[in-house]
Amino acid sequence: MKLTAIRPVGIVLVRELSLTMLLLLGVSALVFLILYLSPGDPFSVLLEGQSLSEEARSGIRQAMGIERSWYGQYFHWVSGMVRGDFGASVRTGLPVLSEVLRTGINTLILTLGSLLVTLLIAAPIAIRSAMRGMSKATWSFTILSYVISALPVFWLGYIVIYFFTHKLGLFPLAFGFATGAKKWLYLLLPIFVLGIGNGTISEVIRTLREEMGRVMEEDYIRTARAKGASVWKHAFKEGFLIPVTEIIAAKIPFILGGAVIVEQVFNWPGMGRMAWQAAQDRDYPVIMGIAIVAAVLVRLGSLFQSVVYVMVNPRASKE
Amino acid sequence: MMAEPLLAIEDLRTYFYSRSKRAFIRSVDGVSLAVAKGETLGIVGESGSGKSITAMSVMGLVSAGPGVISGRIGFRSDRVERQLLEGLDTCVALRREGGRVMAVEKDDDRWAGQVEKNMTGIRGREISMIFQNPKQSLNPFETVGRQITEAIMLHTSHKIEQEAKEKAIEWLDRVKIDSPRLRFDNHPFGLSGGMCQRAMIAMALSCEPHLLIADEPTTGLDATIQSKIVDLLAELKSELGITTMLISHDIGIIGRLSDTVAVMYGGTVVESGPAKDVLSCSPEGKHPYTAALLASIPSSDAVREKGHLQAIEGDVLDTINIPAGCRFYGRCSRVTDKIREKCDKQEPDLREIASGRRVRCWLYFE
Ligand SMILES: Nc1ncnc2c1ncn2[C@@H]1O[C@H](COP(=O)(O)OP(=O)(O)O)[C@@H](O)[C@H]1O
Ligand code: SF4
Ligand SMILES: [Mg+2]
Repeated sequence: MKLTAIRPVGIVLVRELSLTMLLLLGVSALVFLILYLSPGDPFSVLLEGQSLSEEARSGIRQAMGIERSWYGQYFHWVSGMVRGDFGASVRTGLPVLSEVLRTGINTLILTLGSLLVTLLIAAPIAIRSAMRGMSKATWSFTILSYVISALPVFWLGYIVIYFFTHKLGLFPLAFGFATGAKKWLYLLLPIFVLGIGNGTISEVIRTLREEMGRVMEEDYIRTARAKGASVWKHAFKEGFLIPVTEIIAAKIPFILGGAVIVEQVFNWPGMGRMAWQAAQDRDYPVIMGIAIVAAVLVRLGSLFQSVVYVMVNPRASKE
Repeated sequence: MMAEPLLAIEDLRTYFYSRSKRAFIRSVDGVSLAVAKGETLGIVGESGSGKSITAMSVMGLVSAGPGVISGRIGFRSDRVERQLLEGLDTCVALRREGGRVMAVEKDDDRWAGQVEKNMTGIRGREISMIFQNPKQSLNPFETVGRQITEAIMLHTSHKIEQEAKEKAIEWLDRVKIDSPRLRFDNHPFGLSGGMCQRAMIAMALSCEPHLLIADEPTTGLDATIQSKIVDLLAELKSELGITTMLISHDIGIIGRLSDTVAVMYGGTVVESGPAKDVLSCSPEGKHPYTAALLASIPSSDAVREKGHLQAIEGDVLDTINIPAGCRFYGRCSRVTDKIREKCDKQEPDLREIASGRRVRCWLYFE
């Protein structure tokens, strides 16, 4: 790659990273505020049903930092975060950051995998119908995908589990039980359920078909045809690559939301399930940590999109 | 007698079905044209007369949903002989009710496949095309040089990139783009409209096609750039002797570059013949529409006096409700009492009135 092409990418990186910083600050403040205002604290959940002396209680409170004023707590937490210390889980005592990253990887696999599934189903239908017109096959696939997209992800998840465990007796209900081929099945099923059931297939088909269809009308595609070159090759950047990165960036937050449900249903050891548990426990440090990591994931999607855009579009990189 | 034609269009009809009007827009309605080897055929007519759609039909570019084509387009060079509309009619089914087409069922997918089949080895290699809006016609995401290199590698014996690149630079130089080596790496947005058209011409000619179709190659460019592009085309024409189908609404440009001229109106050819005869000054002996077109060329004096261009009076023909009689009847100023009845009721055919000269007008059929 030429040096002139690297500079604009650098500019985008700097811009995106500073935006991310601001966003993280905002997210952390918001989450903190919500947690602070919601009733109950980790302390009371932790000690539920136990009788302790008032002295012991305030001792524990102090150790947990709950005695401080709310802004005191927030700044304590933010300054820790800046140093890479997200605190420890109230429930398990394990360091939040490493725990969230460990589960975050699993969620990332689930999210990106399901995005891939969505795209592998949607893109061929969208591209083919945009480039060659609607045939009977593309019509039926489109309608089918719209129906499937309307299925709620939790329902689809339970149906799949029911089918595999009760009908086929194949499915281990807890992660890590299975070995060999079943292990792969365990890995792939949730990915497929989220990929199909997150409601984005029909949307991706529509967006991609519109974008590709618009590009097909462009004069330069007519030129490509007239010179006997590959239309797909010429339409690829504007009609496929850019819209796909836009879709990925825009869909990550929704898919993360869907992941929470799928992780519950499939007992997938990801960040979503951890968040669910932490919310029940009022495990503030964990919730905060997850919120931050999720926000970072979302920003990474948008960073990816911007970088691809400048790299692909010569015009954008000149500006 | 005309030399063996390279391209022969016979009774071409390209219609677009309008769902809302339940009728066809008859953009091209029975056009027959022939382009002889080595000559330049100029097609002229007001905008909307079906010139571009004729060219697009030849190139297989009418794939947009509602387009339906019939007729024959034969292409014959020393390398290939092909019917370019082969099999397209089998992809379309019409449903008629009382003479009116109620629905058009077109298998777009099969149509596209058939067009691909008909056009492989033709597009870019045998026939090249350049367009109006050169800037939009080049891929904005690629450098100009790579787009030309791509065409060369696709269609010539230069299959090695470096070799094709040298060829491309040669062609950029040939169309008079200065510092071609630098321009090679420019994207279209970095070049002016005129430069983009030069690059398009370089790309079209770099594969040494037998036929060049130039659809409004100067329209939309600045006046000075226009005349430079015309100069370039004239120069390339005498240098390469390439057979050309030149389309323009500008009768001046047609006059400068064409050997033969066809005048189109309302989707039909109303007059054709050697350029010097068709475009000669006397209004007698030519179709009333051609005469009106020629009269509408503003002399510089007239423009200065009136401050605007005089167009032909009346509106361009509505290609859905085509009249039974002459298509130009509503705007014609030369109808005589003797032929009025015929002009109104019966469409004249395109008849030979002198060697190589054809006119579609009752005035000449007495
Ligand atoms: N895709 C289309 N759908 C419907 N009508 C069309 C389409 N393309 C062109 N036409 C109509 O065909 C007629 C001829 O167009 P065209 O060949 O572009 O004229 P011109 O002589 O200016 O090049 C015009 O009236 C135009 O509205
Ligand atoms: S046929 Fe009649 S209406 Fe048509 S151009 Fe000739 S004189 Fe005019
Ligand atoms: Mg046109």
